[in-house]
Amino acid sequence: MANTWGYGAMTNSLGDIQNAKAIIIFGANPAVNHPVGFGHFLKAKERNNAQIIVVDPRMTKTAAKADYFAQIRPGTDIPFMYGMLHIIFKNGWEDKNFINDRVYGLEDIRKEASKWTPEKVADVTGVSEELLMQITRVYAKSTPGTLIWAMGLTQHSIGSSNTRLAPILQLSLGNMGKEGGGTNILRGHDNVQGATDMCCLSHTLPGYYGLSVGSWKYFAKSWGVDYEWLAGRFKNKKMMGAKGFTLARWYAGVLAGKPGEDKIHNAGTNLKALFVMGTGITSIAQQAKVKEALDELELVVLVDPFVNEAAILTDKQDDVFILPAATQFESSGSVSATNRSAQWRYKVIEPMYESKPDHEILFELAKRMDFYEEYTKGMLMKENKKSYKFPEDATDEIARIIKTIGLTGWTHKRLKNHTDNWHMFDEVSLRGHGPMKGEYYGLPWPCWTETHGGSPILYNIDRSVKEGGMGFRNRFGLEHDGQNLLAGKGSAPKAGSNKDGYAEITAKNIESVLGIKLSASEKKKIGKNWKVDTSNIIAEKCMEAGIAPYGNAKARAKVWTFPDPIPIHREPIHSPRQDLAKKYPSYKDKANHYRVDTQYVSLQSKKNWSKEFPINLITGRLVSMNGAGLENRASKYLAALDPEMFCDIHPGLAATHGIRDGAMMWVHSPEGTKIKVKAKYSYSVKEDMVFLPFHYAGHFQGEDLSHKYPEGTKPYAVGESANTVTNYGYDIITQIPETKGGLCRIEKV
Amino acid sequence: MNKNTKDALTTKIGRRSFLKMAAIAGAFGATNAIASGNVTRAATDEEVKNPFPGSKNVRTICTACSVGCGITAEVQNGVWVRQEVAQDHPISLGGHCCKGADMIDMVRSEVRLKYPMVKEGGQWKRISWDIAYDRISKKLMSLREKSGPDSAIFLGSAKMSTEQAYYFRKFAAFYGTNNMDHQARI
Repeated sequence: MANTWGYGAMTNSLGDIQNAKAIIIFGANPAVNHPVGFGHFLKAKERNNAQIIVVDPRMTKTAAKADYFAQIRPGTDIPFMYGMLHIIFKNGWEDKNFINDRVYGLEDIRKEASKWTPEKVADVTGVSEELLMQITRVYAKSTPGTLIWAMGLTQHSIGSSNTRLAPILQLSLGNMGKEGGGTNILRGHDNVQGATDMCCLSHTLPGYYGLSVGSWKYFAKSWGVDYEWLAGRFKNKKMMGAKGFTLARWYAGVLAGKPGEDKIHNAGTNLKALFVMGTGITSIAQQAKVKEALDELELVVLVDPFVNEAAILTDKQDDVFILPAATQFESSGSVSATNRSAQWRYKVIEPMYESKPDHEILFELAKRMDFYEEYTKGMLMKENKKSYKFPEDATDEIARIIKTIGLTGWTHKRLKNHTDNWHMFDEVSLRGHGPMKGEYYGLPWPCWTETHGGSPILYNIDRSVKEGGMGFRNRFGLEHDGQNLLAGKGSAPKAGSNKDGYAEITAKNIESVLGIKLSASEKKKIGKNWKVDTSNIIAEKCMEAGIAPYGNAKARAKVWTFPDPIPIHREPIHSPRQDLAKKYPSYKDKANHYRVDTQYVSLQSKKNWSKEFPINLITGRLVSMNGAGLENRASKYLAALDPEMFCDIHPGLAATHGIRDGAMMWVHSPEGTKIKVKAKYSYSVKEDMVFLPFHYAGHFQGEDLSHKYPEGTKPYAVGESANTVTNYGYDIITQIPETKGGLCRIEKV
Repeated sequence: MNKNTKDALTTKIGRRSFLKMAAIAGAFGATNAIASGNVTRAATDEEVKNPFPGSKNVRTICTACSVGCGITAEVQNGVWVRQEVAQDHPISLGGHCCKGADMIDMVRSEVRLKYPMVKEGGQWKRISWDIAYDRISKKLMSLREKSGPDSAIFLGSAKMSTEQAYYFRKFAAFYGTNNMDHQARI
């Protein structure tokens, strides 16, 4: 998404979904995973008779509320969306003006879409031609339409193509930058948006600045440390700019060198220490490998309010530390909801038992490793303070530095003020009234200046920049293949001094684009461009002139730097359709993908996997739990709702294996691993697939590990981790594991 | 069914006789401190209306999913005693799912990890924070020295506050590696 129009985030808000006339949901189950948010969907249905369309391999509780439900084969969203585009283009239902003014490279999409006739789509996806046509007509004719997705779209080897084609569908219908439109990704955990914005990610610095030398220099300066000193902390400057291992494949960094393991590129060393703070690593794919890696490590540190079940999974005998973290209710700070709104989470009680908040643990370790002063200096710099107060001074440090996504306006005072006054905002538009007039709830980013009210709907040119309007971001240069990449004539945010497309604002072009003259002192203080201008002169001047600091460009349907410049269908690594895997093969194997060589087509074509493993395996969440499920299974009442691990299986499929409802069954994976789970008859899955919830741990390949919990810490429910049997396979760009399109074999116990 | 059992099951103890029995039990159990023999008293109207006098309400945000529902937490003497929905919150509008409604129980769960521990020779052993910090930092520093900073990986969390997440990212930078990630990847 960021590669299409600038930012990879939910474009509108949950409340704004009430404005939609149609809602199409790909691979998301908000009725279960975001139940309170789903209330806004149902209101759209009540208020506008919005048509709800669900495209999912499983008849979910969300699908149960839908007007149209397409039960798609896992991993075939691209053919489905091209099928929709095929019908849209054929009937001329696309928004031609919007495309002309605001989209680049759609011609190639038209060409690809022309290949995906309804017959062909039906063969690949399993959705009938009639249903595809019905859905397309309803969705194209009921505008504005909002497009929703979650992990069902991302957890594929082609996940990054899925998340590009969905925006393209919205662009074609002119559904972007509209109330009731947008691409609305539903984030999982409470602060996925905030932690992602801060880039606890191995490929970039906070605010998505990347890892280039320029970015490191900007951060070194903003943190008040010498760049060369910071570079000296790394093995060398090359490693300082190299993407690190990810959560998805860190284990490969430990196991490399053993027979059959993928090769790594990690400055000549394997991983020897693992430090985990608040991640249930039992909910990531390849649990057997995770266990093997844990066993091999020299040091394992697990910081969590409960016993992180990695400690239970491993057979490592020494140097496994489990440290009690305080919950977020025993600490305070900001948290970003899925719609980019920040809220202040006030501390409810002091940390219980001996638990400590996460930052305190980091600070204490930094003290002992001799970088505490440099590490915390950023909190003192704004007003030359002698001492800091956490988290308030950290909030202000972030606001001071992060320009790329417009966090300048997120001072701790303003964020607290919003939470203190949450009753002063409208549920649909998020507009404030009374003392909060002129601001949107939680100041959804970009919030360009300390007086800007936030931007609840991204890319909306019907509003002025001051009111949260903007075009698409100028992020990919000014032209490509001889074509101008800036927005078309007259297509600019309302009330701006410049009515056409314009480049991102720099010290050099600010006078010509805004039509202003800077004073000599302003010229002296101004930063090189809007992303590093800590003087805020660019942002302030832009607000006065009604100009978006990041420019006004076209969205691009074509990403020329990607292996597939336009999204194309590729079968999952483990496809149930051998014939289609040959026709739509996976990518070439990728060397050094986040430091580890990764197999694609070589593994896909190794054998006909579907012969031995004929059943589709899909995983997902339960309403009572989230993530690795530990905190929910450690809550007495929630654990009682789903006390044991199970497998949803169609009675027809179960019958062919002699598996009775409630009996135990084995699920085997192509990796040679297995889990023992209780069969639960369900018509929500087809006869060629099974569904597993991924919230359990504490059992491993049939063995109960309960005895390994320290006394008094065992959660009220334990069970097999679904991720012991999810398959090998990773997204080509992001390395997200392919847990929503794999194969398995089942057997009666 | 045996007739005696049946009789026993159908025998009703009237409210009055139950109270009498309770009073006797109470009298036997009472100490000299309760000279009057009245061991219980009716709650006052004020107590019914406000069972946690002196408590305060704290506005906070649910930690389950990304919807960002409001929570009104009632705290008395440092103890989280009750959780209420936030009727006037612009996103959740007084709604709570089962996970959200359970936040108070998650925090007060009896199976929380209560103190730092280390596994030694296959056995869990309680240690102090100071010892934990010392041992972990020493080991990290020696690995850094011996095998370079890329021999460690730091996995953070989407359950942290934004400020903590930022300081987690920064921690890896100051340690000297980009081997750092969190579950948003997934």
